[in-house]
Parts: sequence; C-alpha cells; structure tokens
Amino acid sequence: MGVSTVVNTYPLSSYTFGTKEPKMEKDTSVADRLARMKVNYMKEGMRTSVEAILLVQEHNHPHILLLQIGNTFCKLPGGRLKPGENEIEGLKRKLSSKLAANSPAHQPNWQVGECVAVWWRPNFETVMYPYCPPHITKPKECKKLFLVHLSEREYFAVPRNLKLLAVPLFELYDNVQRYGPVISTIPQQLSRFQFNMVNA
Amino acid sequence: MENGGAHAAGHSAAAVEIYPLSRYYFGAKDAFPDKDENPLDRIQRLKSNFASHGLRTCVLGVLLVELFRHPHVLVLQVKNCFFKLPGGRLRPGEQDVDGLKRKLSRMLSLEDCAINDNWQIGECVGMWWRSEFETLPFPYPPPNSRRPKECTKVFLVRLPVSRQFVVPRHLKLLAVPLYQIHDNSEVYGPIISGIPHLLSKFSFNIIDDD
Repeated sequence: MGVSTVVNTYPLSSYTFGTKEPKMEKDTSVADRLARMKVNYMKEGMRTSVEAILLVQEHNHPHILLLQIGNTFCKLPGGRLKPGENEIEGLKRKLSSKLAANSPAHQPNWQVGECVAVWWRPNFETVMYPYCPPHITKPKECKKLFLVHLSEREYFAVPRNLKLLAVPLFELYDNVQRYGPVISTIPQQLSRFQFNMVNA
Repeated sequence: MENGGAHAAGHSAAAVEIYPLSRYYFGAKDAFPDKDENPLDRIQRLKSNFASHGLRTCVLGVLLVELFRHPHVLVLQVKNCFFKLPGGRLRPGEQDVDGLKRKLSRMLSLEDCAINDNWQIGECVGMWWRSEFETLPFPYPPPNSRRPKECTKVFLVRLPVSRQFVVPRHLKLLAVPLYQIHDNSEVYGPIISGIPHLLSKFSFNIIDDD
C-alpha cells in the first residue's frame, strides 16, 4: 500500500496566528474570473491549480483550515501553478504566500503529503467534476488537493482581509450550499486516514 | 484522455488499469438464501450481534471496467430496487482482505470459496461509520466519542484483463458509469454515490487493444 495512512493532528491552540498585509483576489466577480481563465488558457493551455488540506484537531475531531473572504465565501489555501511549475513546489509557494509571515526566519516547513482528490473543469464555467467527463478532450482546469502535514507548532500570518477558520469535518460533510462541492466532499476523501489526535 | 495544453510537472498519480466491459463474461448460479427478514428484525439481529461481538465491520469492493472511454463500477441490484457493492460483513477475527475475497467469490464466482479465486485487493479508498444501525453512515467516526456500531471499509479491487463473473440469480450485476452515480445519493445511497470522490485521485489507464 506504500503511503502511511496515519495523520498526526494537533490542537488548534498549539498554533499561533498573526496578521500580514492584505492579499486581494485578482478578480472581483465570477464572470471576471472565468474571463481571465479564458485568456490564460489561450496563452498557456489547461490551468493546473493546487490546494492544501491543513488539519488540526478540536474535541478529538479533525478540523480543516479554511480562508474566508468577506462574510461567506470559503476556500482552501492554494492557487494556480505557473506554466511548467512542479506541483509540490507550487503548493509550498502558495501556502507561504497566503499563510507564512514575510520574515525569512518564520517560514513554516510545509510537508506536502499525498494527493487526495482531483477535480476537472470541462468548460469556462463554474462547474467541476471529480472525473474528466466523457467526450471532454480539452478540460480547462485540473485542480489537485493535497494533504499537508503540520508540525506540532507553527506560526501563521494571515492576510488582514481574510479570516482563517478551523471547520470540523462534520460541518463540511454534505454541506454543498455553504462550502461548495470540492470542500464538502473532503471528509469522504480523508475517511481512509487514521487520525492520531495529539492533545495539548 | 488528453489533457491538452501545458501540463505541470509533479509526482505521478496512482494509476489503475481498467479493461473494456466486453472482455468479461457473465453467467448465473443458484440464488443463495439471502436473509429475507423485515427491517426491524434485521436491526434486532445486528444489535444482539453487537452485544456479543462488538463493532460490526463490513468490507466492500469497487470493481471497475471501461465502457465508452469512461470508468464504470460493477454494482449489484437486489430485488430490482436497491443497489449495493459486492462485499459484506466480516466474521469475528477475520482479516479485511480475506473477508472481502470470501464475499467476492460468494457473490461473483462459480466457486463459492475464495481459495482458488484470484482476487487482487488494492488499497482502502474510504471508510464509513454508523453510530446506530438505523442511521445513515458518515465518513468519520461519531464526533461525540460514542462508540460506532458499524464500520464499512471500501476497497479498490484490481480486475485482470479478463474473467468470468457468475452471479447468484437473486442478484443482478450492472456496470454503472461514474457520471451516473456521482451525487446520486437518492438512487444509490451515500456509499456508492461517493465513489467518484474516492477515486478522483487515480488516473485510469484504459487498456484497449482493439
């Protein structure tokens, strides 16, 4: 079977959270985002994006760290790879951009684990699927979710315009309305792992 | 399937070979007496087994074939209504892989016994827990620290290029495309409809020599 299925999770209290300068979204609307995606596709081909599942534990139940924009929209830390960029290096770059302090002395040692999910965008639309639909030969985006193992202590600096939330798996499961199809199905994709809940 | 355009470098996805449905042969064997009890009696039986043996563990197999360039899952239909994956309950002390092979042979092979049957059980792709026998399963142990009553483990089964499936007459074996089970919990239940999410990280090599 190869990869270990044991994941150590530490209490939320074992991490320290500071703030840093805001990181604004490049697009102000869904329509803008899809339009920019189209422009990039013409230049560079299919977009590959990578996102991180960072886990902590509270009350012996796993929680995922999500970035909240505004009052409702939640996303996983991550983003688009540059053309030809290695997935793991790109994910570390995005994680540091969103969650690491600017000082070189405080860079977390991101331990990127296995890929647990892959999503495909067939057209320049918001809908994505956990498989490439039949008859789609030119998907516009491929999004990969990676488990990222956190050490017992870390210092995170969150951009001032974003909120970092720790959301329990039971809140995400089946909750497509609130978290969308990608985040709400993560509990199933993590179900095969054995969580070692390390207490404070 | 082509990715078209630039493709970022990264570690290779776990690959699974799947073969066309046409490579497999399907026959029938005598029905075995499936426990034909009403739901309340069944719950009673499960509860008294739990009192004697503790956690009920079930193992299920995801067997994949290719049709129209898209992966299909082999699903059993019972009494022309509800759907289930091949598999079932482990006996006390039985190992996951042994139990799954035993169940696969019973439901899908001419031989009822797994010893001569060559099943290649792959990795566990997902797990489901029930805190009560009557309630829905969830993909995590009960958060309130109550002991779960049932745990179901879903395994990928790697099929060879060809084999014969012999199904008891009271069951129907269907090949259902991923796009049909996806998000379709009303028809297939949460475990089957969740399979595309559990398989999404694999890259499927469709081996078709035609």
